[in-house]
Order: sequence, then structure tokens, then C-alpha cells
Amino acid sequence: MFKRLYAYKDLLLVFIWREFLIRYKQTAIGVLWAIIQPVSLMLLFTFIFGVVLNTTQKNYPYTLFYFAGVLPWTFFSGSTNFAVTSLSGNFNLITKIYFPREIIPLSGVAINFIDYLIGLAVYCALLIFYSVPFTWNFLWLFPLIAMLVLYTTSLALLLAALNVYYRDVKLATTFLIQFLFFATPVIYSIDAVDNRWKYLLFMNPLTFIVENMRRVTIEGRGIVLWQFGVELLGIIALYFIVYKIFTRIERAFADVI
Amino acid sequence: MSSETVILFQNVWKKYSKQQVLNNSLREELVSVITGRKCRDELAKGEFWALNNICFQVQKGQCIGLSGHNGSGKSTILKLISNITYPTRGTITVKGRVAPLIELGAGMHPDLTGIENIYMNGTILGLSIGELKKRIPDIVTFSGLDDFINSPVKKYSSGMYLRLAFSIAVHSPADIFLFDEVLAVGDESFQSRCLERIQSIRENNGTILVVSHDSAALGRICDRVVKLEHGTVMSGEVS
Repeated sequence: MFKRLYAYKDLLLVFIWREFLIRYKQTAIGVLWAIIQPVSLMLLFTFIFGVVLNTTQKNYPYTLFYFAGVLPWTFFSGSTNFAVTSLSGNFNLITKIYFPREIIPLSGVAINFIDYLIGLAVYCALLIFYSVPFTWNFLWLFPLIAMLVLYTTSLALLLAALNVYYRDVKLATTFLIQFLFFATPVIYSIDAVDNRWKYLLFMNPLTFIVENMRRVTIEGRGIVLWQFGVELLGIIALYFIVYKIFTRIERAFADVI
Repeated sequence: MSSETVILFQNVWKKYSKQQVLNNSLREELVSVITGRKCRDELAKGEFWALNNICFQVQKGQCIGLSGHNGSGKSTILKLISNITYPTRGTITVKGRVAPLIELGAGMHPDLTGIENIYMNGTILGLSIGELKKRIPDIVTFSGLDDFINSPVKKYSSGMYLRLAFSIAVHSPADIFLFDEVLAVGDESFQSRCLERIQSIRENNGTILVVSHDSAALGRICDRVVKLEHGTVMSGEVS
């Protein structure tokens, strides 16, 4: 993939830059939107679960708890939402000119990643604000981010490619994302879940990623190594299978789109 | 001039479908992931051969015209050369960088300014950002849009839009240029500049393929004209 993309790296850059420009053109507050979305979700969850329903999740502030979940979730849902129509929506490019097709969904992942990094900066500020003690386990965050990006990329490529053939995919994705939202521990913690259901939930790689992002950054806990190994292998295997399928069916995109 | 072959079509067949037979095509592609390349030779319902056993070659520095009625397969040939689509059977060899001007301005975005669109379109054509930076003054001068280059493209007239797109395309350092009915762009003075540009591409040993149904116009600028009818080469085939 990297070899294929290297020749077109400038095109990828320009695509990312274009999406960035288009997104914030004719907006009054521009990049601030990257912060407003996760922050407002965090405030909403804190209000609903902390005040209205008055649940107890952990012994630390709700704002941190929810923000840690909302950030990776927003990245994932934003990227997949962008990707699913990215190829079918750009049919005028696909049928007119050749370039590696994955560039379009990848630029969507990239632009959401920029938003994610901005959100992470806010998150770190929050951690300092609440004076959460730093532990070396925090460094686990980086492999977890890599896993999140790889998993999101795989799904983005797969959904984008399938949507070229069946527009059902677009409709199914809306539902899938809602479904995954509840199957991912964004608004709850897996610690409170019965062991039987834990393994079921861990079938979803996002469960592992989101739950552990919270553990390593706020609670200072480590990662269960064998779980990490299994999830990582699964994500890498998924990526290779998806990429193989993508490059294969890409050849027919211009004919069926 | 060297006689190096830069485009070679060997028994090329291309199948298209009149209907949307998506499930078939997806299933075929997915099966071929596992089993390797395989294609069905017989036609399924609603399919037809857009190209029938096409053989031709183009030498470096030549200017070739493709003429024929609508649906005779001219644009399909250009799409195959530029890798947008792939042949059902047969092989295609293309040597060098291809600049397809199949539809001008395909990569333009209405909200972006002229300059921003030059970057967009230029990189799609395979130029690097560095190369574009150097060429931007030339591109802007050629298009004659100096006053509008920092306005969003949605404010352009359709003629200005095409002029910008054409200018970007002809300034790409490609070896092979594909023109699909794009010679009818712009006013007379812009047209004559385009013809000059084609002339200079040829002097620099660039290869050109032009598609048009106006055979008379093709005859004036091309070394030879290939006539196509229903996906078969009728005349002008030169080896």
C-alpha cells in the first residue's frame, strides 16, 4: 500500500488539504468545531448520566470518563461516515481519471484524525486540570491510537468500496454506527459488565481500544497482554484482507459506479 | 524521431453492461481474489462488447486521431490507456506518464479558488506540489485568468472554467496526452493558443491521441486517423 501511495503522496496531501478547506470554508468559527462536537457530547452525557440518572461509574470526574470515550468514538464514526459515500460521491473523478482510489477515503480518515489530535490536546489539558497522576502506562495510549486508526481505515476502505456497488451500504452504515455506539464502552465501562458478556463485547475491537484508552490514561492501569496480542493480530489481519479486496474490486469501480 | 512504441493494444476486448448487474460483477471480482484472474468470455444478458479485438500501436511523438460515431468505443480506448478501466481480454502496454484530458475540470471544486483548484487538478494529473509551484505563473498566464485566479471557481463563467482546466492539463509534464472532444473549448484566440500548444508538445516528442467525430479537424492536426465503428477498427490501422 505504501509503495503504491508513495507516487501519489502529494495528491493525498492535497486531498486532505482540500477537505480541510472545504470543511471550514464559509464557517465563522472554523477549526473550533473540532472541539465543540466532542465537548458538547461529553457535557450532554455528564448531565444525563451524572445528574439526571445519577449513576456512578468510577471514582473520578464524569467529564474525564465521557471525554475519554467520546474522542475515539467521534474519530471512528466521523471517518466511517465520511468514507462510505466518499467514492460514490466522487464518481466524476473516478470515471475520468486514474489515481489510487483509496486516497479519497483515506483523506477522510486523515482529516478526522486531525480533529482527533486537537481533541486529544484538550483531553490532556483536562487530565492536568483534574491533576490525574501520570504513570508510564499512559504510553500504552500510542499503540492504542495506532490500532484505532488501522481499524478505522480498514472499515472505511471496505464500506467505501462496497458502497460503489450497493448503495444499501450507506443506509446500513447509519444503523451500524448507532449499533456500535452501544456496543462500545463510550457511555459505560466494561468493568461493570458480567464476565460472560465481556468476551462478547470484546469481539468488537473498539471495545478493547476505548476501554483501555480510559484505563491507561486516567486509572493508570496496564493492558492485559494476551488481549492486546489477539486484538492487534485481528486488526492487522482484517486490514490486509480488506486491502486485498479493495485493490481487487477497485479495477471495476469506473464501470459499475 | 525515434520509433519507440509507447502505446500497444493487443487483441483488446472490453465488455460493458447496459444494465446494472452489480451483484454479478462484485461476485466475480471477489471470487477472483481467491482464484486469480478469470473472466467470462460469453456475454450475459444485457452485456455487449464495447471493443472487439482492437489491435493498434502508437509510436513516440505521433499524433493520432480517433474518429467514429457516438458509442463506437473512442472514449473507452482513452479510458483503457489512462488506467481508469481495465480490458476484459487482451493486453495493453503504455510507456510513460499519461495526462488524460478526458473531461476537463473533473477534479475542480466550486468552493475553492482558481489557485487552489490548480493544485487539486494538477496533483490528480500526477504533478508534485513542487512542480506545480514552478508552473503556476505559466498556467495562469496561459489561461488568461489573472484577475479571477483568487476567486472561487463557482464565480467563473463556463468558458473560464474550461480554460483553467485546459491550461492545467496541457502544462503537465506527461509523455502521452489524451484529448477527448476538448478542442472545442474557449473562444478563437484561446483555440489558436491550444493548437500552438499541441504543436509544441509534438516538437518536444510528446505523443498525442485526439478523439473527435469531426474527422476533417482531425485530419488537419493528426499524422493519421483511426476510424472506429461499433468497437472495431475500420481503417487507418498502421503497425
